[in-house]
Amino acid sequence: MESKKPLSPHIQIYRWHISSLVSISHRITGIINIIAITLICLWVSSLLLGENTYETINLFLSSLMGKFIILGITWSFSFQVLSEIRHLIMDLGYGFELKITKITGLLVIFGSIILTVIFYLVGKNFI
Amino acid sequence: MVQINLSKNSQVKKGKYFKDKTGSKNLRKVNIYRWDPSSGDNPRIDTYEVDMDNCPSKVLDILNKIKNEIDSTIAYRRSCAHGVCGSCAMNMDGKNGLACTTPHDEIKGDINIYPLPHLKVKKDLIGDLDGLYKQYQSIEPWLKTNSKSDTKEIIQSKKDREKLDGAYECIMCACCSTSCPSYWWNGDKYLGPAVLLQAYRWIIDSRDEERQARLKKVADELKLYRCHTILNCTSACPKGLNPAKAIAEIKKMLATANI
Repeated sequence: MESKKPLSPHIQIYRWHISSLVSISHRITGIINIIAITLICLWVSSLLLGENTYETINLFLSSLMGKFIILGITWSFSFQVLSEIRHLIMDLGYGFELKITKITGLLVIFGSIILTVIFYLVGKNFI
Repeated sequence: MVQINLSKNSQVKKGKYFKDKTGSKNLRKVNIYRWDPSSGDNPRIDTYEVDMDNCPSKVLDILNKIKNEIDSTIAYRRSCAHGVCGSCAMNMDGKNGLACTTPHDEIKGDINIYPLPHLKVKKDLIGDLDGLYKQYQSIEPWLKTNSKSDTKEIIQSKKDREKLDGAYECIMCACCSTSCPSYWWNGDKYLGPAVLLQAYRWIIDSRDEERQARLKKVADELKLYRCHTILNCTSACPKGLNPAKAIAEIKKMLATANI
């Protein structure tokens, strides 16, 4: 009898809020960042293998797919940084009012897009 | 464990359709989660056409109208109808709340009513809250005074009393705990926002003498730190309380105190 009882629907029916969206994105970008950092380390170490490897990777990174990955990683880093600042402020006990969580959540989302553009432009033009 | 999909016996099927018989022009469709423990079938969604011209303003009024006039087999909990008892907590339009304080004209489109999320369903809109009550018991929600005598009044200053504001008003309707994804995945170990808010209420009570022991008891990777400030709890609370902030305060106390 016990096991026959169904479980009521949960994530299938629960409406997304800005705060829950930012929270889950924070975790996903965290995982992406760990993979990204590993890849960047591998990329740097691969330079030891000589010019040929460098050229191949360079070719890949300047392709459309490569550019997409670079932009993706830049966004993921930007999002993580801003969201972490939001979480640190919350850990201090501030910003728990519903209105403020909404505003800071939106700031994180739009801020991450703006930061991505800035990082990309700075990286492209000055480095 | 994180299990996103519903198991086979929990999957919701399409149910019956109850067409309007009053001939009213002001109709709304109400989709309600149904499960009959005696049938052995899967849960289903029944759809009711409800005459809104003769229906008071709250979602609970719709349910009462359906039970009285259309389909008497529907089961749900309700008692006070004034947002004090916490019986009619359910999921309406994808958000937890009390049916008796949620106006139906705030819901756009069809009205979808489900039981509180991620609970074992007893019947229709009635979820099994035994686990939550056991957890509530585990934090020992009563005043503990060992040194003071039983016959003398324990004085509390106005300032200390004010600390309980925002915590003592909780009616234990479970809207917050069942809105929390962390509680969905780890509800057997994580205490959840409702119980942690109550734990906080006793930790900060100036008259209580077991503050250290209470803090120590709750300081646990699974019991407390599964809160990832998703804040579904605060946005769900029908009494406008802030369980997420209370949990953050407990974490802060643990980070700063020497225990």
